[in-house]
Amino acid sequence: MSETIVVVGTYLISYTLIVGYAVYLHVRRRRATR
Amino acid sequence: MTRVRVLMSLAAVAVGIGLWLALTAPPDALQGEYARLLGIHPPTMWVAFLAFGVTAFSSIMWLIKKTDRWDRLASASVEVGVVFTAVGLFTGMVWGQAVWGTPWDWQDPRLMSTLVMFFVYIGYLALRNAVDDPTVRARRSAILGAVAVVQVPLVYFSVNMFRTLHQTQSIRPDGSSMPDEMLMAMLVNMVAFTLLYVALVAARIDVAKVEAEMLPEGAVAGEAVRPPRLSEVEDV
Repeated sequence: MSETIVVVGTYLISYTLIVGYAVYLHVRRRRATR
Repeated sequence: MTRVRVLMSLAAVAVGIGLWLALTAPPDALQGEYARLLGIHPPTMWVAFLAFGVTAFSSIMWLIKKTDRWDRLASASVEVGVVFTAVGLFTGMVWGQAVWGTPWDWQDPRLMSTLVMFFVYIGYLALRNAVDDPTVRARRSAILGAVAVVQVPLVYFSVNMFRTLHQTQSIRPDGSSMPDEMLMAMLVNMVAFTLLYVALVAARIDVAKVEAEMLPEGAVAGEAVRPPRLSEVEDV
C-alpha cells in the first residue's frame, strides 16, 4: 500500500509542476494583454 | 490562442491514456509498484533532451537568419526543457530511493551530468534575463544554446561510458529489457509528453509575442526599471 502511495504521489507532484507551469503561462499572457 | 488550446487538449488526453496504462500495468517482480515510475521518468528526460536539441537547432538558425522567431523558439524550448528536467530529476530520485536505497549519489556520472545540464540551462535563462538589448540577448543566448547541447549525448551515453548506479538503456537495438505492458505505457507517455512539450512551447511563444507587442515602439525590455544615476539628478 505504501508503495502505491509513493508512486501515485510522485505522479501527482510531477503533473502539478507541469500544470503549474501551464497556468503560469496562461496568467502571464492575460496580464500582458490587460 | 485556439491553436494552443487544441494542442493542450490533445496532450491532456494522451497524458491521461499514458497515466492509465502506467498505473494499470502489472507490478514488477523485483521493483514492485515502483516500476510504474518508468511511465514518467524516461519520458520526461526524453522531452528534456528533445527540448535542448530544439534549442540548439533554433540557436544555430538564429545565428544564420537573425530572425526573432528562432530566438523565441530557442528560449521557449529551454524553459520547457528545464521544467521537464526538474520533473525527471525528482522522479528519478524517488525511484532511486526505492530501488537503489538512495535518492542521490554525488559520485554518479549519470546523475551529476544531468544536474550540471539542468544548472547550465538555468544559467541560459538567467543570461536572457540579464541582458536588456534584444539583439545582444539573442546572440549571446544563441551561442550558449548551440554549445550547451554537447551535454545531451554526454548525459545519454554516460551509462555506457562510465561505471554508474543508473542502469543502461532499457530499449536497445537487440530488444527491450521491460515487460510489454510497461514498455507500452512508457512509449505512450513519450508520445504524450512530446505533445505536451509542443503545446507548452507554443504557449510560451505566444506569451513572448504578446509581451513584445505590448512594448512601446523602440523600447527595450527592462529600460523602465533602470535605477536613476546621480549625474542625472539635478535637484538634490
